[in-house]
Amino acid sequence: MDLYLPIAEMPMNLFLLLGMGAAVGFLSGMFGVGGGFLLTPLLIFSGISPAVAVASVSSQIVANSTSGVLAYLRKKTVDLKLGLFLTLSGIIGSAIGVWVYGALRGVGQLDVVIALSYVAFLGTIGMLMVVEAVRAILAKQRGTPLPIRRPGQHSWIAGLPLRVRFHRSRLYISALPVIALGASIGFLGALLGIGGGFIMVPALIYLLKVPTTIVIGTTLLQTLGTMAFTTFMQSATNQTVDVILGLALMVGGVVGAQFGARVGQSLRGETLRLLLGLLVLSVGLRFAVDLVARPDELYSISRMGGW
Amino acid sequence: MIVRALLAAAILAVVSPRLHAETLVTALSTERVYIESNFTGSGVVIFGTVERDRQTVARPEPYEIVVTLTGPLRSMVARRKERVAGIWINRESSELPRVPSFLAIATTAPMVDVAGNRVRAGQGLGFDMLPTRGLPDALPPIRTEYDAAFLRLMQRQGLFTLNEGSVEFLSSQLFRAPIELPANVPIGWYTATVYLFSGGVLLAKTTQDFSILKGGFEQTITNLAHREPALYGLATVVVACLTGWLAGVAFRKD
Repeated sequence: MDLYLPIAEMPMNLFLLLGMGAAVGFLSGMFGVGGGFLLTPLLIFSGISPAVAVASVSSQIVANSTSGVLAYLRKKTVDLKLGLFLTLSGIIGSAIGVWVYGALRGVGQLDVVIALSYVAFLGTIGMLMVVEAVRAILAKQRGTPLPIRRPGQHSWIAGLPLRVRFHRSRLYISALPVIALGASIGFLGALLGIGGGFIMVPALIYLLKVPTTIVIGTTLLQTLGTMAFTTFMQSATNQTVDVILGLALMVGGVVGAQFGARVGQSLRGETLRLLLGLLVLSVGLRFAVDLVARPDELYSISRMGGW
Repeated sequence: MIVRALLAAAILAVVSPRLHAETLVTALSTERVYIESNFTGSGVVIFGTVERDRQTVARPEPYEIVVTLTGPLRSMVARRKERVAGIWINRESSELPRVPSFLAIATTAPMVDVAGNRVRAGQGLGFDMLPTRGLPDALPPIRTEYDAAFLRLMQRQGLFTLNEGSVEFLSSQLFRAPIELPANVPIGWYTATVYLFSGGVLLAKTTQDFSILKGGFEQTITNLAHREPALYGLATVVVACLTGWLAGVAFRKD
């Protein structure tokens, strides 16, 4: 059954959209990440223009993170103050991101910037995850537990001014790295159509030393706030959010996420991280191949001033 | 005597096409095509008759019909990728001002047999004669690599089609030209132009407008997105939050 997408101006199979939403939702529920980094490329590979894909996925991320945030709020594992700091700075980053996105689209370099950024981020993060997971698995087989790295104080982060107390996370740290982190994730989210959870979670744990129990709920809160703003901004300035496309992805995504979460709980941590790492790495590789391989068609056409 | 005969012939040549040439009467099967949520493509049929009266000269050559369906004009940019530091990125570009976003051509016979290059160039008829830099000229247009890429890519996307021989005569004067509208057909005003040729000479031409519109619901959404973008954005966010909340409630384990 084909569904005509009014903003993308093309029909797509409804079950394909629901399926893509469900598959990515399943993975995101299983690994505890947003899944935007998978969904946006999937839509682009299936023929939707990168402009519409990036903007519409942001609405799907809002739906997914809403149900997540509500669950974590019930468990009271969200640092609201830290989340607020991250969200406000994320909104500033997102506003800049939406503007840069429009400017790049105008000069015809949006696609290559999106592809390069995917290669850089997914490649780096994927590689780190795979290496870490393989080491953990090998250590377990040998029976020698890895030395638990007690996060020591990073001198340069500790030395920064404007310190703020975050009670829930039991932290008294400078607001500057918090704002910088929030803003960069917001910027990337708007530009690439990703929630940024897969960058935010390790950054909060390793850079800011936020307790692991608090990290996921707080990250989801930041994702929700920033992505709601991004959806609004993409609609208001670029008019590229397809609500029908978004809705089909949301419905598939939230259902898939519930089942993914159940499977995720039964898998071992290292195995899960290895699988996620490989997945992230392969999406990055796909973009890299497209960038480096000589294209069949050197020319491309688009409407003046966008589309 | 010779002078008088020549004069008569000249008068006849000037007057006769107007008095005795064929006229074309054409009609479209539909004036509006609506794109609804289940739209996967559609079609339009152009009907016509070649009207003759008793004084119309007998043609030694058969009638040939060319039908073009031209979509809304848009300004396009063609870009060329080049290898820079190992990766392929867009470098040079060229603007194509006001080119059709859709062009379907249907004929009764191969285009080259219907009319010569000069005649077609004057009308901008055929992909090879389509003006990409302004109005049709008496000379065939000069193509850059970018123009060629534009024509090639539009054909690959199914937006430019040529169906030689798809126009059929149902009788000696009545013809029909079915034209397919693909799923990715652009929205807007279309012009159907019918050309009547015989022996490589253009005898008559008609044009008719029709439009492709989004259906009620699709149009409402598009209007909202373009005219009230802030409201549209807000509504999308609310829908997303509601979907997430509903899912959380539905799957809550307790």
